Amino acid sequence: MTHPQSEHWSDYIDGELPLAEARELETHLEVCGECRRLLNELRGVVARAGALEDRPPRADLWPRVSAQIGVSRRRFVFSMPELLAAGIALMLISGGGVAFLLRDEIGAPVAWIRPEPEPVVRTVATGGGYDAAIGQLQRELAKGRGSLDSSTTRVIEEKLALIDQAILDAERAVAADPGSEYLRAHLTRSRLTKLDLLRRATELTRTIS
Amino acid sequence: MKHEDRSEPPSEVGARGGFQPSSGIGSPKPRMPTTATRGAPAQKPGAHDPNETDAVDAALAASGDAHAFERLYRRHINRVHSLVRRMMGEEAEEVTQEVLVHAWQKIGTYRGEAAFGTWLHRVAVNLVLSRRAGRRRWRDRFAENDAEAMELPSKSTVHLAGLDFESAIAALPARARQVFVLHDVEGYRHEEIATMLGVTAGTSKSQLHYARMALRETLG
Ligand SMILES: [Zn+2]
Repeated sequence: MTHPQSEHWSDYIDGELPLAEARELETHLEVCGECRRLLNELRGVVARAGALEDRPPRADLWPRVSAQIGVSRRRFVFSMPELLAAGIALMLISGGGVAFLLRDEIGAPVAWIRPEPEPVVRTVATGGGYDAAIGQLQRELAKGRGSLDSSTTRVIEEKLALIDQAILDAERAVAADPGSEYLRAHLTRSRLTKLDLLRRATELTRTIS
Repeated sequence: MKHEDRSEPPSEVGARGGFQPSSGIGSPKPRMPTTATRGAPAQKPGAHDPNETDAVDAALAASGDAHAFERLYRRHINRVHSLVRRMMGEEAEEVTQEVLVHAWQKIGTYRGEAAFGTWLHRVAVNLVLSRRAGRRRWRDRFAENDAEAMELPSKSTVHLAGLDFESAIAALPARARQVFVLHDVEGYRHEEIATMLGVTAGTSKSQLHYARMALRETLG
């Protein structure tokens, strides 16, 4: 009996064969025990590969990793186009919401230094770490804002106002429908976008000053 | 069939692009910690979604929070080390360490298009492949130069009977081992593996089949 080339059985398992060829192989299988056995063995290998257990390294690598990342400080490469790109992402997330600027009594924009509003809901994913990071970035940004020109400042403020509104909307939506995974993911994305924007804006003040 | 088998290291795919995993449609869905939802009960409101948790920690780590990065490390170290170990065919803990340091340095380029685990694994694969040339053992060199052995997989090429499955993977010739791990363990497609390794998809298929044929011996 002529058997198909053994490689075809791998292709067959992986669904890489045109239908007609697959049918031919199946016809052959009906009459050939040898190829049936080979096919089963190959399937066994594939199944075994998919069921491999992961195991940790012999020793915890974190002490060595942390020692190394402690000495190699990351540098952000950061540009206005990137900031604007982040702004475009924000526009999308806000769903075309209207931009507004928060101003204090003398009319100076304060969007990024006002205290965080108490969130309506808080997903577990954004716990104290998130709030602390937002707070720290906002303080840093408030300190460094003098180094930015006024048009940059305005762009950042507009974007922050948009994202804050988006976060508030998302929080309300989640509060109304706490079971919705989509809404929760949307809220997380909105919060991450704020974190990202603040991070970039802060980097910008560091780069300039 | 002609086999491309370059002895120089494959180009570091994606490195210049910030180690972004290929995105979107038709790209592999590596069997990795993308979600922990398979077989898990429907998520209750307020429960942790591992991807969300990863996304938050990745953003914090990108702003310099080493504690957030440690949490990512704890959640992913077993998977990523197992990947590195299998790809290298040896313990290779210093390579895993290098992957993590590299991930820290590059984490600002992670934009959340894919799950963090997917991104991290791509960082690991790129690093392993870029280091391959300098670290090949004589056995690999011997096996890879033997193009005939690749053409006609035979039991005389590698003897895996009696080894446990993991050891048998490690004993495969490097190229076959990498293709097998990337395809059957990690879930990448041939087209993508071909790009990563700098070979044709046909070569990737042949190498995979070679590995599977050889590994049959371990399943007594
Ligand atoms: Zn047959």
